[in-house]
Amino acid sequence: MVAATVSGGEIGRSLPRLEGRDKVTGRAEYTHLMQLSGMLHAKIFRSTVAHGRIKSIDTSAARNVPGVYAVYTSDDVRKVIAEPYYGPAFHDQPILAIGKVHFVGEPVAVVLASDPHVADQAAQQITADYDELPAVFDEVEAAENKTLVHDELKPAGTFADLKHLKGRKGTNIALDFRLRRGDVDKAFATAANVFEHTFRTQKVLHLPLEPHASIADYRDDGITIYSSAQGPSFVRTEIARLLGWPENRVRIKVPYLGGGYGGKLYIKLEALATAMSMLARRPVKIAHTMEEHFYTITKHPSTFRIKSGLDKDGRIIARKCEVWWNGGAYADIGPRVTQKSGFTASGPYDIDNVSIDSYALYTNLTPAGALRGFGVPQLVWAYESHTDMIARALKRDPLEFRKQNLLRDGRPQATGTILKDTAIEKVLDRIAERLNWKQPFDRGKGVIRRGRGFAVALKAVISPTTSVAIVNVSADGSTTLYCGTVDMGQGSDTAMAQMVGEVLNMPAESVRVVPRDTDVTPYDMGTLGSRSLFHMGHAVRLAAEEARTKIGDLRRELAEPEGSNASLADLFRKKYGMQAGNIVGTGIYKPDYIPPDANGLTTNATPFWMVAGSGVEIEVDTETGHVCITRLINVADVGKTINPKIVETQLSGASLMQLGFSMFEKMHIDGGQVTNASLADYKIPGFHDVPPVMENEAIDTYQSNGPYGAKGVGELATFGLSPAIANAIDDAVGVRLTELPLTAEAVFRALRAKANKPLEDE
Amino acid sequence: MMAFELLEPGSLKEAIALIDPDDPEVRPIAGGTALMLMMKAGVFRPRRLVSLRKLGDAFSRIAASPAGDLTIGAMAPLSALENSPTVARGAPVIVRTMRRLSNVRVRNVATVGGALAHADPHMDLPPVLIALGATIAVSGPAGERTMAIEDLFTSYYETSLAKNELITQLRVPAQGETRAVYFKVTSGSADDWPSLGVAVALRAEGKTVKSARIVVSAATTKATRLKAAEAALLGGGADDKTLKNVADAAVDEADIIADLRGSASYKRELLRVYAVRAVLAAMQTSGGPH
Amino acid sequence: MSPAAKPINFTLNGRRVAADVKPHHNVVEMLQTQFALFGARESCGQGLCGCCTVLVDGRPVSGCLHLAVFLDGAEVITVEHLASPGKLDPVQQAFIDCGAFQCGYCTPGFVMMTKALIGQHPDPNDEQIRDYLSGNLCRCAAYPEILNAVKMAARNSKAGSTG
Repeated sequence: MVAATVSGGEIGRSLPRLEGRDKVTGRAEYTHLMQLSGMLHAKIFRSTVAHGRIKSIDTSAARNVPGVYAVYTSDDVRKVIAEPYYGPAFHDQPILAIGKVHFVGEPVAVVLASDPHVADQAAQQITADYDELPAVFDEVEAAENKTLVHDELKPAGTFADLKHLKGRKGTNIALDFRLRRGDVDKAFATAANVFEHTFRTQKVLHLPLEPHASIADYRDDGITIYSSAQGPSFVRTEIARLLGWPENRVRIKVPYLGGGYGGKLYIKLEALATAMSMLARRPVKIAHTMEEHFYTITKHPSTFRIKSGLDKDGRIIARKCEVWWNGGAYADIGPRVTQKSGFTASGPYDIDNVSIDSYALYTNLTPAGALRGFGVPQLVWAYESHTDMIARALKRDPLEFRKQNLLRDGRPQATGTILKDTAIEKVLDRIAERLNWKQPFDRGKGVIRRGRGFAVALKAVISPTTSVAIVNVSADGSTTLYCGTVDMGQGSDTAMAQMVGEVLNMPAESVRVVPRDTDVTPYDMGTLGSRSLFHMGHAVRLAAEEARTKIGDLRRELAEPEGSNASLADLFRKKYGMQAGNIVGTGIYKPDYIPPDANGLTTNATPFWMVAGSGVEIEVDTETGHVCITRLINVADVGKTINPKIVETQLSGASLMQLGFSMFEKMHIDGGQVTNASLADYKIPGFHDVPPVMENEAIDTYQSNGPYGAKGVGELATFGLSPAIANAIDDAVGVRLTELPLTAEAVFRALRAKANKPLEDE
Repeated sequence: MMAFELLEPGSLKEAIALIDPDDPEVRPIAGGTALMLMMKAGVFRPRRLVSLRKLGDAFSRIAASPAGDLTIGAMAPLSALENSPTVARGAPVIVRTMRRLSNVRVRNVATVGGALAHADPHMDLPPVLIALGATIAVSGPAGERTMAIEDLFTSYYETSLAKNELITQLRVPAQGETRAVYFKVTSGSADDWPSLGVAVALRAEGKTVKSARIVVSAATTKATRLKAAEAALLGGGADDKTLKNVADAAVDEADIIADLRGSASYKRELLRVYAVRAVLAAMQTSGGPH
Repeated sequence: MSPAAKPINFTLNGRRVAADVKPHHNVVEMLQTQFALFGARESCGQGLCGCCTVLVDGRPVSGCLHLAVFLDGAEVITVEHLASPGKLDPVQQAFIDCGAFQCGYCTPGFVMMTKALIGQHPDPNDEQIRDYLSGNLCRCAAYPEILNAVKMAARNSKAGSTG
């Protein structure tokens, strides 16, 4: 429980983002734009086959291009880093391909030159010869283990929650998470109704407008890496491990990120830049083009088979979930997605008997990792479509059916963890209220039909994780915050400054939040999974409180009378005889956590639950299948809104991103080759895609164990949009789509199938 | 990007002379937007580009004859057409089409001549110009000739021009009472290359269509007039039977191809629907100057 | 082959400047490497996202598709020219007041486009704003806030205030 404090008036302020001036004047720093004197530009030569043994690589023509400094392959890398493999879950990803390539686009060689055009031209002169091997692209097929992606799996052991991963051979399954609660088979046998459906999601990706970029400046006694990275502490740990150095010789500097959304976590280009700088003995910059993101990291495609058994009263008594996650050629953080999101696969429903099997699969595609929502949007797509289908099949109101089965505080989620401060019903009721769900709805009679739908979901926050913050009060009273949370546009610097200001009774604008620099900013697990406001917020609050305590101690030491209005500057001057000295407060926060047992059960799965839902009204052009969202509603339980304006923009932004994933985004892949690797052919939402009416609401709640009652926000509005739209399409025209994206052609085909005039396949 | 040489001739004759028709590594460059995309994608690796930007102001001029025929210099940027009162009077459908054509920045730089010479079947302007019966003036080493735009495109990124022939002028005949519309159907985000384009220009007396041009684009390898659909429309009007015949004829005649924006069978159904919608819209649009 | 650099002369943010550029250099790389101006950024590289927007002779163009040599004799304005000491341009201030950015990478592009839009249409309606800005992408999807910022900027630019 957070003790009541003297209010500084900062909590609940819709303060504009503190870095606004830098961003609107074009002066904000981003790694992709950085230049270091003497640096070389790197250009990557990539695999053109999905799976193959490397027979030879011919770099001779490239090396002879005038202006080329060097061309390196894994042979060179292994001279300076003996075991050049990295990854947060498995040390499976080589800095440059060794012996085999596992996906089209995998880095095979690198050209270094002072002129990036020269590097680019030279890279095009490299050729490689491969012995092609059979490849597997589908997650369900991969689980059959007929075609193997890797010869052996190598667990990393870096993160506490993934320590249990085993090394294995003969399998594509990187992780299989299982949860067993009660006895689903027995329950299905007694059920009055059983429903089973299978849902699929497509491969999409983050595409931040600042592509990945890292610059490594290697010296014999230390290395500095500038990177567009969401987790500088992890980068430091991992690079130190690769170099066999103590952490304090590895400095990671992170300016602003031009977008992250989960795509800039763990190691992306940092290890490659390090190796190149080691070999070249010069700073090396690797700055991707937009196209190269398609060969770097993506979202997990998924197949989710879900089966529910109901008693005669309509209560869900059993739910069996099987989820196959398509992790691509390297595990990245896929195993965590599989486990941590996996355990919410049964949804925000009170079900006595639950069985979940969640598999992380290797395939010969671009690796999949964290993307805003971290697997939960894929799960919600399935379970909220499925739940809606059941309601409609039973001719029940989708709202009443959900309310009958909803999880409430005091009841156990599938893991057995009792819910607290989890306002699922309140969120659901608010969506329904805003949709006027109980009023009749005119679906129209002409070519254009109207429909409405909604969905509600929950997500756990990653646990256990550690955050450290330092608050430094200078001799004139001005205050600086050092924390490793990376501001990538979500407003973390502003929110943390507000918390410092609240504790120390000063305006947030006066608090300086230093850019991330591991020489200065202490450990943080990473800016991901909507964890920072809660975890780093606590650390920041604790650090500020310690500083405040020390200020109080100083007042007493200087025998200041109670209620004295001596300023901080006065106190320092009195103590040190001049403007000198600091007061430093440190905060460390790690929540309690109990790891799941062999059945995936635990009474403390997460320090807080995120709850959110979406509702939509749509129009369907029945002659073409085009769907237009006329109204989009997002409602979320984010606890106390530290900065209401920023919260609103986070809900809106997440929702519009998910809109793209729901309606039209898709990586088209042909034999492992991405065929639409550019913004010309992979479209992301623009101005004309924004629904004419959007409503975003954070309901009035309080997370009792949160800093000032707050909890995470960033991912919430991604959860429910996809099924809300599919539910609305079903409502409008009576067809049910079970695969994303919900394109006009998909709707059209479903309409024609329903009319018994199916459109021919291609 | 590969380094290349840029030549900047000061006259049309000089420019033509600099383009060796047998050398695939030499190309003219106007606005450069389409060419830059191809060069960055590595599709085209020029050794030498011949700039058309210094050939003189005459090539950017937009004018209308007393009879209402429009002449538009090939080097006029698309935004010049978009903002031209002359074009708004003479062919308002061009101005309407510009609103959703690519984006403002591209329109400020891309030229009419460059766009036509590029011959990307997804572009919005070609079907509209074909529907208006527009022609182009072309200059080459052998002299000048004119060509109907409907004869310009041969296939994907291919025209019937010789490599050293340059488009110098676009000519749009006076439209009189002709009413024209263009439908751009996108299947991904709202702003995208269309999966289907349909342009219709027709002249009606009362409810009877006296002349019509129906053009399909984007779903085909080049913008194509659908003459059978036009024939089905002539003498008829906005009645269901005529419209069905028009739609069926359009789908029969158009050579629709699949791509990542849609299967061929779906695009055929889109054409079936939009041929009708475009004809109906054209019949409701008021003809003549705006 | 290495073609020679061409000298060009143009006006950049109100000053007459000269540069030597190779024909294959685009405007963005020239601005960054020769003038240390980083507000215009190459992102999609295809003229679709607008992060590279600069004004050439008053009109917004995609710097990533514009050859630097084409700037000879032109007037070029970048985002760095908008603010004066101690005072932001009304467009910039409106973007801050409306929270019309998140990560900020696309922001200079939107600001420049807005400046051009208001210059051409001092009182744009929502539809005009959306059409004009449809060629600028924001992956953080701050579109609703940007719409508000443009309208505020239009109001404040007319009133001659900085908001």
